[in-house]
Amino acid sequence: MLETVVEILKKSGVTAWELSAVQEEGWEFYFIRHALDQNRAKKLEEITLKVFQLSEDGASLGSASAQLPVTASRAEAEKLVADLAYRATLVKNKPYTLRGPAPAEAAEEPAIDVPAIARSFLETVRSLPETETEDVNSYELFVSAKTRRFLNSEGVDVTESWPESMLETVVNARDGEREIELYRATYAGGCDAQALREDLERSMRCGRDRLRAVPTPALGRADVLFGSKAAAELYRYFADRVNAQMVYRRMSDWELFKPIAEDIRGDKVTVKAVRELPNSSRNRRYDPEGAPIRDLTLLEESVPVHFVGNRMFSSYLGLEDSFMPTNISVSGGTHSEEELRSGAYLEAVEFSDFQVDALTGDIFGEIRLAYWHDGDTVTPVTGGSLSGSMNDFVKDMRLSAALRQYNSIRIPALTRLAGVTVTGAE
Amino acid sequence: MKAPFSSYLQALKPGLRQLIALLRRDYDYVSALATDSRGLTVSISQRARSVSSETMTTERGVVLRLWKEGQYREYALDDFDPTAPEKAAEEIRAALEKQQALLDALGVAPYDTPALPDEEQTLFVEKETRQLPEEADVKALVEKLTALSDRGMTLSEHMLDCALRAQSTHISKLFLTEKRDLAQSYVYSEGSLSAILSRDGNTQFSYDSVSGLCGPELFEQLEGKLERVVRVGEELLDAGRIEPGEYEVITSPEVTGLIAHEAFGHGVEMDMFVKNRALGAAYLGKRVGSDLVTMHEGALCAEDVTSFAFDDEGTLAGDVTEIKDGILQTGICDALSALRLGTAPTGNGKRENFAHKAYTRMTNTIFDSGDDTLEDMIASISHGYLLEGMESGMEDPKHWGIQCIIKLGREIKDGRLTGRIVAPIIMTGYVPELLGSISMRSSDREVFGAGGCGKGYKEWVKVADGGPYLKTKARLG
Repeated sequence: MLETVVEILKKSGVTAWELSAVQEEGWEFYFIRHALDQNRAKKLEEITLKVFQLSEDGASLGSASAQLPVTASRAEAEKLVADLAYRATLVKNKPYTLRGPAPAEAAEEPAIDVPAIARSFLETVRSLPETETEDVNSYELFVSAKTRRFLNSEGVDVTESWPESMLETVVNARDGEREIELYRATYAGGCDAQALREDLERSMRCGRDRLRAVPTPALGRADVLFGSKAAAELYRYFADRVNAQMVYRRMSDWELFKPIAEDIRGDKVTVKAVRELPNSSRNRRYDPEGAPIRDLTLLEESVPVHFVGNRMFSSYLGLEDSFMPTNISVSGGTHSEEELRSGAYLEAVEFSDFQVDALTGDIFGEIRLAYWHDGDTVTPVTGGSLSGSMNDFVKDMRLSAALRQYNSIRIPALTRLAGVTVTGAE
Repeated sequence: MKAPFSSYLQALKPGLRQLIALLRRDYDYVSALATDSRGLTVSISQRARSVSSETMTTERGVVLRLWKEGQYREYALDDFDPTAPEKAAEEIRAALEKQQALLDALGVAPYDTPALPDEEQTLFVEKETRQLPEEADVKALVEKLTALSDRGMTLSEHMLDCALRAQSTHISKLFLTEKRDLAQSYVYSEGSLSAILSRDGNTQFSYDSVSGLCGPELFEQLEGKLERVVRVGEELLDAGRIEPGEYEVITSPEVTGLIAHEAFGHGVEMDMFVKNRALGAAYLGKRVGSDLVTMHEGALCAEDVTSFAFDDEGTLAGDVTEIKDGILQTGICDALSALRLGTAPTGNGKRENFAHKAYTRMTNTIFDSGDDTLEDMIASISHGYLLEGMESGMEDPKHWGIQCIIKLGREIKDGRLTGRIVAPIIMTGYVPELLGSISMRSSDREVFGAGGCGKGYKEWVKVADGGPYLKTKARLG
């Protein structure tokens, strides 16, 4: 089918085109406790076309895109290309050219065995040390082997395969009639059984603490220590702010080689795009537009040194050698765990949905479990919320030297922010 | 005009019937859901413009659901050839047997569930629309949105960008079993406009939307929203931070809808009852809100983005009264959860698309209106906020917590709006306290369908929600 579409595109007379085909073979298992709710399998192919048309005066470039059903006939494909060719003339963007072929760094393609990955996940969850007071409520497992082929009118034709897994687990803890739950979504390439087991056992311990948690006190402004997955959102803020689209559309006012804030008192932040992280579901040689992915420092000591992004917005910024990052690695800071755990602070562990707005810098999160460290006492607390602005926090961040990875992002294991607004639940 | 049912699906039907018959040799219940939904998206801003035929719900494919010996399994494919059903049947059998081998090796037992009933039923629904997305005048739409974006830029000296998005989807779905033959076609549309403003390094974002069970004609309504979006954006530039605490608040219909969705929409999704993940199961017949709280849920409750004729499991659309006069009446239920709970499905079994599992999901979730005026509601507050604009929310059915991110609050003092704005706001609390404090409700009602809803952090579907202005107490931070 793809060869037919390429032939149609070449004959269509359009200025340029892109064609992407992603094949997926997926297995899914859903459990209520450890009984099978249902099992599912799927075999899919998603074909996406994008057509570009330069205006007659060369002043603008338009594009139009669509998915082509894999069952489409030649006549349907021809009609779709003709429709896209017309629609692209209606769109007026600043002209740019598509990327030509460029070699990626050599890498060995992983062998993908979906049944073996699924088996490892299921064996791990089913062998957790459950007790009468802590157990697994339910879980859902998604394992896929994906293969993407990307072609464009400039001669790019690259194919690569990767595994993708996601395990959603709900853990219960109970004390008499009272029962609470904790939610985990684990994204990875394959199954790292040891890391998964440790994480789920940690969840069970958190569950015990949440049972005895008291309402979060109204702390006003407080230091908050992030040591869980929510911290990744703090660092995605930095990666988003150096994205070419954000910069070109003026949604980020960061400038190359200019510090992101004046008077930074705490640790400065260094962020790198990295092609590979252990067992990441986003390890790729090429981005979705066929650009080779490489290791590249984006922010060094809180100074933007490279903007990156898709071809269109990178071209507008004059970035010829750009790409869309997949994995992000943040360098460790200058502090030991002991230093970060000194004095009074709130250690935030579980949120309903912790968010950082890359445009405004606002942070939000309802607290499901935190620990209030007040001198010698440690009190588990729940309820209330955190809020504040990254525009302020970047001036006084304290980062641990030790690192921790959450699938496609590696960050300092502990991050301490000063002056976070803590709304109590009392 | 009627939204025409997909000719592709019509052509698929004989082959699917053969496939079902072939699979019935090995499985005691077989259903097929086939989809063919087409769309249009036009995005216009000052610095980037695009046209696409994709929306959140465009798709084409088939999912088979099969039952045998208490166990359900599904297979999704997008290359079904109606002239070769034997090939598809063999592929499906082989894939599911491979999965079964792993389950057997691990000693996994099914959550023993009866077969779904299969009784004669035929339905063919083509809903009304004025236009189809596949026949829209894209040139005129691009020009209209471009003109609006350009005009928006002139409305404030602080504008960085004015972005508009128009999306329309023509849904066609076919549900077949041995005895059932359901077909539906309808068009829904949604549009949004946003203003991005910046002053002295302070960047803010203001947003509004339109939605409806209709075609691209909906986008005519965007123009009437433009000036207000820019004005609110300017107000946000001057916004202060709220002093954290508990306040009397009035929720605008958009925020009311967010509360409906997060508080009791997710809280009574009965697949959560099966897993003992929802506190609501223990509160059926009990008080969960004040006398002024009545809430409906169902595809028949409103004409908006998810007002279908039947759901993704072939259950006809419904209208469920979830809460009446503050008393929790019932929940909403997909077909398998209904079998497991010994109740009836409510037409809420929805999939992200054909390749995803069906869960209990919301459709239109709406608080009933009352008799109060907004003016009287404001006049009744000594110190509080009128909350406007929703950004996001998160449910917590197990503990009845709620998180709502709200765009802004307008300060009310001594019964009057002071003109002071605070933003952003995170509203948290315990759902029965929030609903139990509702003391006034306006006589009007609005429904919003431009957003999406996840189950936890995945499985995105279209939903709509809304209601009147409500007065209650809430914890704001």
